[in-house]
Amino acid sequence: MQWMTLFNKEMMENWRNKKWIWVPLVLILLAILDPISNYYLPQIIEAVGGLPDGAIINLPEFAPADVVMMSLSQLSSLGVLVIVLMAMGTIASERKSGVSELILVKPVSYRNYITAKWAALLALVWAALFVGLLASWYYTNILYGDLSFKSFLLIFIFYGLWLTFVISIVIFYNTLVKTPGLVAFLSILTIMGMSIVTQIFGHIIEWSPNNLSSYIYEMVIAGEVSSDLVATSVVAIALSLILLIASIFTFKAKELAG
Amino acid sequence: MQAIIESINWSIVAPFIVIQGILMIVAILDWAKADDFRGARWLWFFIIVILNTIGPIIYFIFGRRR
Repeated sequence: MQWMTLFNKEMMENWRNKKWIWVPLVLILLAILDPISNYYLPQIIEAVGGLPDGAIINLPEFAPADVVMMSLSQLSSLGVLVIVLMAMGTIASERKSGVSELILVKPVSYRNYITAKWAALLALVWAALFVGLLASWYYTNILYGDLSFKSFLLIFIFYGLWLTFVISIVIFYNTLVKTPGLVAFLSILTIMGMSIVTQIFGHIIEWSPNNLSSYIYEMVIAGEVSSDLVATSVVAIALSLILLIASIFTFKAKELAG
Repeated sequence: MQAIIESINWSIVAPFIVIQGILMIVAILDWAKADDFRGARWLWFFIIVILNTIGPIIYFIFGRRR
């Protein structure tokens, strides 16, 4: 199978340049940073001092659902940034250096080339997300209160769809431009633009992928999967697939033209 | 200060510090074998060692040409 060969080559490559080590570690750090620092916030404030005598600070008590949101918001900002930067050169740098031409001289189909890269990145990001959220789930349980393993799995699956969408955007821009830095810039711009549009037209665009986190929050509180969450997931999957197909077409067009 | 150090439950904070350590060690091992740096070799060493957590990440993303 040609596809498996390309996929294995890609997995090997990601292992050699240590992505399989550092990306999971970074996501673990991001996911547990806020749960731990908020837990120790009273001690930190006390240590820093500088408060007038008798000052009383009321810190909110966090429910497990709030703690999940702390982890997700870190992953959505810094986590997405790291993932975009990690994936920005996947195809772009190979085209720049001419490696992709070497590969594509052989009878390798464009579809296999792109989808193998996409799948290898998804495997990496989903695995990293799993260990990151597992660490966050562990800390939530020992520091704040019970969060069932079933909730954890649902959070993992639904949030994974958001990262799948992010990866699809990056792959798409990878086929469009050859400069890795520009790929990262355009990807971040797109994600930020979508988030602004979603906020402004929130009443119309209810199922924007950017809303996944807030529906996940509702799910953790209510304890059940809402129809909005399912619809948003379907939209996220559909958009990812559309981007993937568009990537194959732009890549074909660019390579044939170049 | 003494009181704070005692009040911290190290079994909670330790994994955090251990992961930062692993990240730095992996980056240094990679750095030791590599010869295709963007910029000066030793500059990357200091970035990895001095900038906690962020240093190794920056190195992994931008450090090598590949």
